[in-house]
Amino acid sequence: MAMAGKILYWRGCMSRLKMKGIADSTEALLGLLGANYDTLGGGEGCCGSVLLRTGQQDAARSIAILNTEKISSLGYSDVVTSCPGCFKTMSSEYPIIIGRAPFNVTHISQFLYRRRAEMAGHLHPIRARVVYHDPCHLGRHMGVYEEPRALIRMVPDVELVEFKYNRSKALCCGAGGGVRSAFPEIAVEVARMITGAPLKATGASIIVTSCPFCNFNLKEAGGVDVIDLPEFLLRSWRGSE
Amino acid sequence: MSNEWIDPKRRELLEWLCDPGRRLGIDRAVAAYTAAKEGALGRLPEMEEMRKEVRKIKEGSISRMDELVRQTVDSIADVKGTPYLARDAAEARRIFCSIVGTGKLVVKSKSLTSEEIHLNSALEDAGNVVYETDLGEFIIQLRKEKPTHIINPSVHVPREDVARTFSKLLGRDVESDIPSLVGVARAFLRDKFCNADVGITGANVVSAKTGTLFIIENEGNARFVSNAPPVHIAITGIEKLVPTLSDAFKVVQTLPPYASGVLISAYVSLVTGPSKTADIEKTIVYGAHGPKELHVVLLDNGRTEMAKDPILREALYCLRCGGCLYECPVYRVVGGSFGDNYFGGIGLVWSAFTGDECAVAVAIDACTKCGRCKEVCPLEIDVPKMVEHLKSNLASRGYVSKKHAEMSENIMRKGNPFGIYERRQ
Ligand code: SF4
Repeated sequence: MAMAGKILYWRGCMSRLKMKGIADSTEALLGLLGANYDTLGGGEGCCGSVLLRTGQQDAARSIAILNTEKISSLGYSDVVTSCPGCFKTMSSEYPIIIGRAPFNVTHISQFLYRRRAEMAGHLHPIRARVVYHDPCHLGRHMGVYEEPRALIRMVPDVELVEFKYNRSKALCCGAGGGVRSAFPEIAVEVARMITGAPLKATGASIIVTSCPFCNFNLKEAGGVDVIDLPEFLLRSWRGSE
Repeated sequence: MSNEWIDPKRRELLEWLCDPGRRLGIDRAVAAYTAAKEGALGRLPEMEEMRKEVRKIKEGSISRMDELVRQTVDSIADVKGTPYLARDAAEARRIFCSIVGTGKLVVKSKSLTSEEIHLNSALEDAGNVVYETDLGEFIIQLRKEKPTHIINPSVHVPREDVARTFSKLLGRDVESDIPSLVGVARAFLRDKFCNADVGITGANVVSAKTGTLFIIENEGNARFVSNAPPVHIAITGIEKLVPTLSDAFKVVQTLPPYASGVLISAYVSLVTGPSKTADIEKTIVYGAHGPKELHVVLLDNGRTEMAKDPILREALYCLRCGGCLYECPVYRVVGGSFGDNYFGGIGLVWSAFTGDECAVAVAIDACTKCGRCKEVCPLEIDVPKMVEHLKSNLASRGYVSKKHAEMSENIMRKGNPFGIYERRQ
């Protein structure tokens, strides 16, 4: 099919509409890497993750079917996502709904990790102590812990430190599962359980994460520089320090 | 469905969120708990194997719960205890009231199962005086609150508030240092144990073959309660039954490190039938130094139904160690309002079968499904999966908040949950 060699960069609602810096930086980075990719522009739509998380199965089903038809009919067989929610939903829940895996889905951290050799020579130093926050949907749910860390470590001069509770024991940012819309007050208090004492204990000045929801919610908690993984890598590539 | 069902529970959640006193109590407890648990597990490398074995024991036991109930009933009767099977909370209350009667002094040790059936108010309404003797339960009984943690029911009450409560009880100023607070409870409850007519306990695990109740505790109050009064009544959920003594001992070894960060609890009492002696002419007489009567109430109250659900049955494996609560980021900020009669993600499932469905339907929207509970659970119970399943059951019965319904409509109409208009390409 026409799009066979091309990847589809699925930005996700949050990066596409509310945290646009994440999608823009990711596209810029993909451009620098010379990746052969498309987006679906304004026709992308929602992956249905929030519907599944809030118990709205029927709506989620119809969205999954719609998206699968849309993506498959355009001929894409590889989808890359910014959002761990889209990643989990499309890679592990669509196959259950559809009855087969309609396309390959990878998270942007995995995609970039595979192309790390092409990035290596271009990264400029960032002199900072950074801590990586494991998004629940990427880490505990999908088992992706090491790729983001390896990518951060590629940036010269960066000192990557860990939260006391990291990887499978990482604390949750509080935004997931529809909590941010149902109980924004609770979501932000949960985020403060990270940006408070646990962050201070690391001495880090930047939290790098790889989920637009975590990013948004940790920023809501305030008092810390939060940056998405591709944004961080782009900053290093461009050497804007 | 209008959204009025949300409001009272929503208010409770936000009240907790905004209460610095309760937050302080929980924060202190979490810090102490996690340090202790990490220490205990560090010294118990064998726990990795043990907890897997316990998982298998529970899987096996729940798959033949009916049979274990029958076996337990027979074995308790064999040792001259009196077994009962209560189908629901109302039946369990009737059984208790008929055994206890009226005008009695009742002492209790901690039992969440007794809370599940609202036992205290039933006994009090029948004209009895009931004292909780577990320190945490005693505190919240005096404060007329409900428990907020399955192991530490008064986890949300910092020491300063305990001192205020005890000062009121004694009519004099009580120091807020923790040892003297413990001293107050000890002195106050001492004679209640010996003068009580009835002692009520729970049981953490029961061996079906022998009818043995295992009661795990640290304070020593459950020993008093189960031993000093002439009548001992125990209540336990039918999911607590395991086939043999050695199965039960494995549960006993797994619980304490996860429940309170100790290698083993101070006291594990094994009770098999009432007290007896045959020292005079080999003639058996019941009620030597311990209770003359032992009654055991086995409670179903939705458990059989739970066992039939292929996904939610996993909740029956829960040992009630409470570890997942201390590790839950949402419990940290909303404490005892996160659930109904049971708390946290696992508590939502339990409450859905045994408590107020409406409260569960609201509180469940505070769960981020982050999955940390599954990670720290000794039995790796897949709580987030159950919560998601429960959420969709509730949603299909109309429990969808306005916010979530709007989100869904936005997705269907505008292609994103925020309702932002996007120009198609
Ligand atoms: S779900 Fe697991 S961690 Fe939580 S109380 Fe039950 S046994 Fe303990």
